[in-house]
Amino acid sequence: MIMMIDENMLQYALFLAQGLLVASGIFSVMHKNKKAQFAISTILLVAIALTASSLFASDSSIVPFSAFRISQFSMFFISLFSILLVLVNIISYEYSQDYISFSALFGFTIAGMYVVTMANSLISVFLGIELMALPTAFMIMINGKQGIESAVKLFVMAATAIAAFSFALALVFPFNAQLSLTALHIGSGQGNYLVLLAVVLFVISLAFEASLFPFNLWVPDVYQGAQGNITAMMSGINKKVAFVAIMEVFFIALVPLSSVFSQLFIALAIATMFYGNIVALVQDNVKRLFAYSSISQAGYIMIGIAVATQYGIEASIFQIVAHALAIIAIFAVILWLEENNIKSLKDYTALSRRNGFAAFTLTILMLSLIGIPPLIGFVGKFLLFTSAIYSNLLFLAAIGIFNSFISVYYYAKVIMAMYSKKEEVRSLRMGWSVSAVSVISVIAVLVLGLVPQFLIAAASQASAALLAI
Amino acid sequence: MLPFIGIMLAVLALTLVASAMLKGNASRLAAIAGSAVAAVLAFALLGTVLYTGSFGTGESLASYIPQLNVLLDFRLTAVSLVLIVMASIVAFVTLLSGNVEMERLRVSSSLVLLFELAAIGLFSSANLLLFFIFWDVGVVALFFMIYMLGSANRRHAAMKFLIYELLASLLLLLGIMMVYFYTPIHSFDIAYITSVASTVSKSTQGLIFFVLFIAFLINMPVFPVHLWLPDAHTEASTQGSMLLSGVLTKFGGYGMLLLFSMLPIASAYMVPVMILAAFSAFYSVLVLMVQHDIKRIVAYTTIVEMSIILVGIASLSAFGTAGATYAMLAHGLTVALMFLAAGSVGYMFADRDIRSVSGVVRNTISTTYAFLLGIFATTGVPLTTAFIGDVLIFIGAIGAFGIYGAIPLAALALLGAFLYYVVNRSFLSVKRKSNAVAYIGRSQNAGYAILLFFILLFGILPFVILKLFGI
Repeated sequence: MIMMIDENMLQYALFLAQGLLVASGIFSVMHKNKKAQFAISTILLVAIALTASSLFASDSSIVPFSAFRISQFSMFFISLFSILLVLVNIISYEYSQDYISFSALFGFTIAGMYVVTMANSLISVFLGIELMALPTAFMIMINGKQGIESAVKLFVMAATAIAAFSFALALVFPFNAQLSLTALHIGSGQGNYLVLLAVVLFVISLAFEASLFPFNLWVPDVYQGAQGNITAMMSGINKKVAFVAIMEVFFIALVPLSSVFSQLFIALAIATMFYGNIVALVQDNVKRLFAYSSISQAGYIMIGIAVATQYGIEASIFQIVAHALAIIAIFAVILWLEENNIKSLKDYTALSRRNGFAAFTLTILMLSLIGIPPLIGFVGKFLLFTSAIYSNLLFLAAIGIFNSFISVYYYAKVIMAMYSKKEEVRSLRMGWSVSAVSVISVIAVLVLGLVPQFLIAAASQASAALLAI
Repeated sequence: MLPFIGIMLAVLALTLVASAMLKGNASRLAAIAGSAVAAVLAFALLGTVLYTGSFGTGESLASYIPQLNVLLDFRLTAVSLVLIVMASIVAFVTLLSGNVEMERLRVSSSLVLLFELAAIGLFSSANLLLFFIFWDVGVVALFFMIYMLGSANRRHAAMKFLIYELLASLLLLLGIMMVYFYTPIHSFDIAYITSVASTVSKSTQGLIFFVLFIAFLINMPVFPVHLWLPDAHTEASTQGSMLLSGVLTKFGGYGMLLLFSMLPIASAYMVPVMILAAFSAFYSVLVLMVQHDIKRIVAYTTIVEMSIILVGIASLSAFGTAGATYAMLAHGLTVALMFLAAGSVGYMFADRDIRSVSGVVRNTISTTYAFLLGIFATTGVPLTTAFIGDVLIFIGAIGAFGIYGAIPLAALALLGAFLYYVVNRSFLSVKRKSNAVAYIGRSQNAGYAILLFFILLFGILPFVILKLFGI
């Protein structure tokens, strides 16, 4: 009985905190107090993370308002995203050109992320993605110097994706006059062209958001044009939310069709990995290079979703954490370097002499992205490739490994540039927010790489909860 | 039995932290002290094993990924014990005397320690995932050693090194994941895999063998995937070269020994592997003869030696295995000595070309004789360690391949002939005046002495090591 009350209270506390977060963003436009807004939003995000993790620990499965679902899956991601959002909030506080407008839009974006993560119906997914994407476009616009172009690109992309999604919704709605993820009852759908079309449209629309090839042509331009903190949020969180949406739509609503979409996902994963890695080889602008690198990482994450087993999903969840932790700090460092007019690979020459810690941070995080043990990226890739081999997809694992090999070249180029020698260098001071985020991220990447068992256990519970729904 | 491996790794890890914190010579001294302790522990371990006559039951420190049945566990075999002893001696001497220029002491000492940690962990790991992890840590440490401390053209060499080595490591990852998946109870445990490998189907075994064979072949390195080694050596610092040839190539050799003992299918590939190894030995000797850079010459001797070690491994006999291990011990110590001498020459003359360097003997007698004795030890003159290794390898090879097994011996003879020409031309020539620009310190002489002591010790008292193999 006491347990029940606790769960309900936690659940209300969660919704209350999320509501307060949005409200605080709106109010900040009136009082215009940067410090207060930063403190309030950080405290609320930490509170949400704590509440969600205690709900995760208590193994709750509740369906409030029939639009949301509190399960170990959603709570895992709510706590993860909240922690990552704290990091984004810290760098935005120092570097955002208009932190007050930023935080008003930030509140809406966060609300969108939470809605998708907790979705129990296709409408929640739809609205959540919309709510997340549009404020992001405005954030790019108010913050960036060359922001308008990027914002328009993102806006058009989001509109296309959402059009495909709503078309797919219209196609699956007639089956049971239901949009709840669990009650869609689409049957096996074999031979039904409408269902197949709907699957394809869902894939297209979510592939836009998750930046899978060939729907990722917007990514490099938008990432490069946006200010670093927004880029960090987009690649570290927005994209991960899209993966959560993919998991929810395909592994809850459309799970009878897994043999169909898993073939599609295998093709998407392979194409995305090759595209990201090969194009990254010839990039000169470091931010753009990491945009392509994060495309290829989306391909790796897709491997686990494509094998469509619990172990595969677990591996994907692990890799989502691994990539998000690394890429947010990487874009934070890049943001700080861009403020100092260091943009192209050539400008990175002798960075280790100018600021040793920045070079060290980037090196450790890039080694994690390559998958060098004992860092977290290695464990993630290892789980992904073994999950593919477990499902008798040896070629998929081999392609993944081959892609890791390709990626060595461009990461090594950056590392070598940073550690090359040059006379007469001027030292650089790192902003406090970037140092804080770097320290947190490097420690997390090292510790979770050395002791991955707890995160693997949590990912395993989350994936089991997803499949049990 | 004390958990020696755990203590060694802990000592090295703590020293690594200390060495990364301290500055300048303090950092180097801390690293020397730490690796000296590790070397003493290695010998204590050797003594304990010889005294008790058993390798112990292995050490399990912690669980790494319990969900996949992966533990941080270590075990000892005769091969791993010999290689641990070798690696700890070479790393100690590298720290003591390898940095001839005494520049960037903190970076170099920390990286050497990181590499030593990886090497000792790799040689003693009881499961393949741990083997892979230490492999990659070692490769990354050496990459930074080549790139951060190397000479002018290091950019190209470091990239080449990284690409070859990471290709090897990713093939290794693919191979061990396949092994893991195809064993009945999914496991990375080497002893378990060895015991059940015969139940895996022939075609799968063949595929796994092929993938892992290429990975280890790149690392050893043997023709046709040896191209990274000469470049890496030319550009690496003396310390980098000592560890690269002395210890890193043994990763591949040790892995190859594991592979041949693990998969029964290996017996089907004995002859092709032996032919490849023999060809590689002759090819490398011929390429070596047109080199002028002393370091490049020594680098090619590594390829010749590793090819001959592969002949011993491919013979799949007790003598061949013991011989390959012994030859790896010999080669690790010898090549470290030769690179130390070559690096000292490069420092003293600001030049390593055998056509222009002359009269080393007028300058430093110690370097000259260290190099000369290194050549004796490379070519397997009796009383040096390599002699025992070569004898055992060719006993094994003749047993397995008949009289053809002795053919690679001719490559060794050619190698010796050319090396004597080199030493005669540049080191011992007294006709021309010495053109040295600097002098080496006392620590280099100490390094020569330590390495020579062990080369002769294991050559004169081979039964110390052979007792481990039960020969």
